[in-house]
Amino acid sequence: MDFLSDTVVLSRMQFALTAIFHMLWPVLSTGMAIYLVVVEGLWLKTRNRDYYLHARFWAKLYVLNFGIGVASGLPMEFQFGTNWAPFSEAVGDFFGSILGFEGAMAFMLEAGFLGIMLFGWDRVPPLVHWLATIMVAFGANLSTFWILTANSWLQTPAGGEFIGGKFIVSDYFQAILNPFMLNSFLHMFFATLETSLFVIGGISAWYILNHRHPDFFGRSLKVVLAVAFVVAPLQIFIGHLSAEQVYHYQPSKLAAMEAQWDTIPAGSSPAWSLVALPNDQKERNEWEVKVPGMLSYLLELKPTLSEPVQGLNEWEPQDRPHMVGLIYYSFRIMSGIGVFLAGLMGFSLWRWLRGKLTAETIVDQKLMLWGWLLAAPMGYVAVECGWIVRCVGRQPWTVYGELRTADMATPLPAPEVLTSLVGFAGMYSLLFVGALYFGSRIIRKGPNLELPLPQVIGKDSLEVEPMQHQPDQRPIETQQ
Amino acid sequence: MEALEHFLPQVWFVILGLFLFLYVTLDGFDLGVGILSLTASNEESRSILMTSLGNIWDANETWLVLVGGTLFGAFPLAYATVLHALYIPVSLMVGGLILRAIAFEFRENSVRSKQLWNIAFGAGSFMAALGQGFAVGTVFEGITVDTAGHFVGGVWDWLSWKSVLVALTLIQGYVLIGSTYLVMKTTGALQQTHYKTAKLAAVTTFLGAVFITVSTPVLYEQMRDRMFDPPLFYFFAAIPLLGSLFVALLLQSLGKEQERMPFVWTVLIFLLSFLGLGLIIFPYIIPPQVTIYQAAASPSALVFMIIFIGFLIPIMLFYNIYNYVVFRGKITQAHESD
Repeated sequence: MDFLSDTVVLSRMQFALTAIFHMLWPVLSTGMAIYLVVVEGLWLKTRNRDYYLHARFWAKLYVLNFGIGVASGLPMEFQFGTNWAPFSEAVGDFFGSILGFEGAMAFMLEAGFLGIMLFGWDRVPPLVHWLATIMVAFGANLSTFWILTANSWLQTPAGGEFIGGKFIVSDYFQAILNPFMLNSFLHMFFATLETSLFVIGGISAWYILNHRHPDFFGRSLKVVLAVAFVVAPLQIFIGHLSAEQVYHYQPSKLAAMEAQWDTIPAGSSPAWSLVALPNDQKERNEWEVKVPGMLSYLLELKPTLSEPVQGLNEWEPQDRPHMVGLIYYSFRIMSGIGVFLAGLMGFSLWRWLRGKLTAETIVDQKLMLWGWLLAAPMGYVAVECGWIVRCVGRQPWTVYGELRTADMATPLPAPEVLTSLVGFAGMYSLLFVGALYFGSRIIRKGPNLELPLPQVIGKDSLEVEPMQHQPDQRPIETQQ
Repeated sequence: MEALEHFLPQVWFVILGLFLFLYVTLDGFDLGVGILSLTASNEESRSILMTSLGNIWDANETWLVLVGGTLFGAFPLAYATVLHALYIPVSLMVGGLILRAIAFEFRENSVRSKQLWNIAFGAGSFMAALGQGFAVGTVFEGITVDTAGHFVGGVWDWLSWKSVLVALTLIQGYVLIGSTYLVMKTTGALQQTHYKTAKLAAVTTFLGAVFITVSTPVLYEQMRDRMFDPPLFYFFAAIPLLGSLFVALLLQSLGKEQERMPFVWTVLIFLLSFLGLGLIIFPYIIPPQVTIYQAAASPSALVFMIIFIGFLIPIMLFYNIYNYVVFRGKITQAHESD
């Protein structure tokens, strides 16, 4: 148990623990905020009361997620200073500014309008309320933008150089628009949206399977499906672009993702590894199942490689990522889930077009509904795997090729870090269990379909009352 | 260029001060209400207390995120060194804030375990306030650094009778501002209770403040020189005098059972203490050695951050105020659960 006295390892474990847990909540609140904007907008447009009730019901899950997301995110920000002080000092000029932007532009916007979104239904006019919901969604997604900007910069630092161990920025826009930034942001943006869509769809499917308000939840499933039609295939495409960028900018990470130990020269058409048992010590795979000629198609959409794929053995052991198996399988699980979700979307769309998703017939679509139920947790798994590939694959670097993780940890006594690690582990377990327990309670309780429409100015315009039939008072002869 | 290198860190010192003041005031009453909830007599009044925070606690806590982010960006060395030195108090604060936030969410949805989350809410608020108090006390007292500004002290340096005193005073201050906030937001018996807690907290906060004010020049030679050096001397003389006046006015308005003025006086007392603290610390950001100029990020980073964050300050203030305007008025019952 040597690692228990190694501050660097303990600090890494603490960061990994808090990051992996924290990710579970914003991933849903960010995507679900967009869904809430859509259903509330549909309500304002169509005046259909169901959409209003959807906005109210899903907002309950939203706020539970948001609250825990805030709680679990706080240690992330402070850890840079407490556990990674040399890192903070070295890159504060740029990295710190970006975290500041996230707070000022994004998080404040989301938190500032959240109160109105949750409790303001009877206090502000409907359009102002919708604007608040839009601001919440905009703020949440702006957070994704800044966080992914900061993280991408760690992957492909740009816009300045390290002088005396400190990063001096020469061009901020170049640093923000670093090579990874755009694809990373889009990949994460679609990941939050896709995860949320399949969670909402999965819960809707659960209600339909249990014959609870099948018509009502059929409606949310269709809203989800309409958006997923665009998102699911696009995500696969952006994922491909991201992998292609890793191939060019982070060859040691790509080698780990593919468990490729020996370099493959340009001009060849190598096989793609489907399953393998990588062994870090022996520096090779124990056994492997390969698909011939596939790798160049995956990386470049071409029959032969135009650039070599460097193998892990190109680097000294201390200069390449460890835990190759973790990175290799995380990548495969993430991609596999992406393909499954797109397939489920396609299958469901086909059923919809065949007219099988009406209020009467939707309960009979058992296979499809079970598919959705199964898909509900998958987005989370894919997101976690994606981050593992991204950040464990970047090792041994904190800033790729520039700063080593081992040099960036605060020289703290190990017992203190161990204590805080254990404390966080306990607290995050409580968060996780509580979120599942109270989340499932909200779901079991179900929506309140009796909820009255908001009592505010302009109320009449929200509810289209059926026209009162006025009996004709004229004499029979004059009636036509 | 030299003028710029002086001017920019000063601007950021002021912006940080503004964010920190907003945090201490807004999350101050928030945490204060949390601590007071431990004393609430029944479930109904506790629900009203928590409802009074429901729409704003996220936004209030965000000012802390902003303080962290801007300190990281504008004064990276201070962020690294101070957080390193304050490992335990910061962990305590973060732990408290987590406990408090989850208690908020879980209590809302729980049936049988409400009592547990009530305690967690109060205890979390207390822990967070305690951690912050120790942090303020430590920064006030000084942090041991080497010539490069890196922390070289021990893990328990933050703990001393002085920092305990500062922490207790801060907690009293939070209870005071929380009480005056509740006086403003509640009616009837609940309001009467908080007139009482406000009076009590006003006295204990005042005693703590007096002790800190008097002991600082007595105990610290460096601060003594600074405080008795004109023209700063006049400020350091005016602040306690004005502060005592405000406390008297606060007690008077509590006695008259005014509803809004106690909160206003308390905010002014907070502002005054904050100015005093800022004046004692300036131009240091890691007292007693590292100045804001040494710890500042590069001028270009500071300019870049002013462009992106500076123009957002009025916008942030605007929609935060709008939030308070929308939910103005008394809380008479808890949110109806739908």
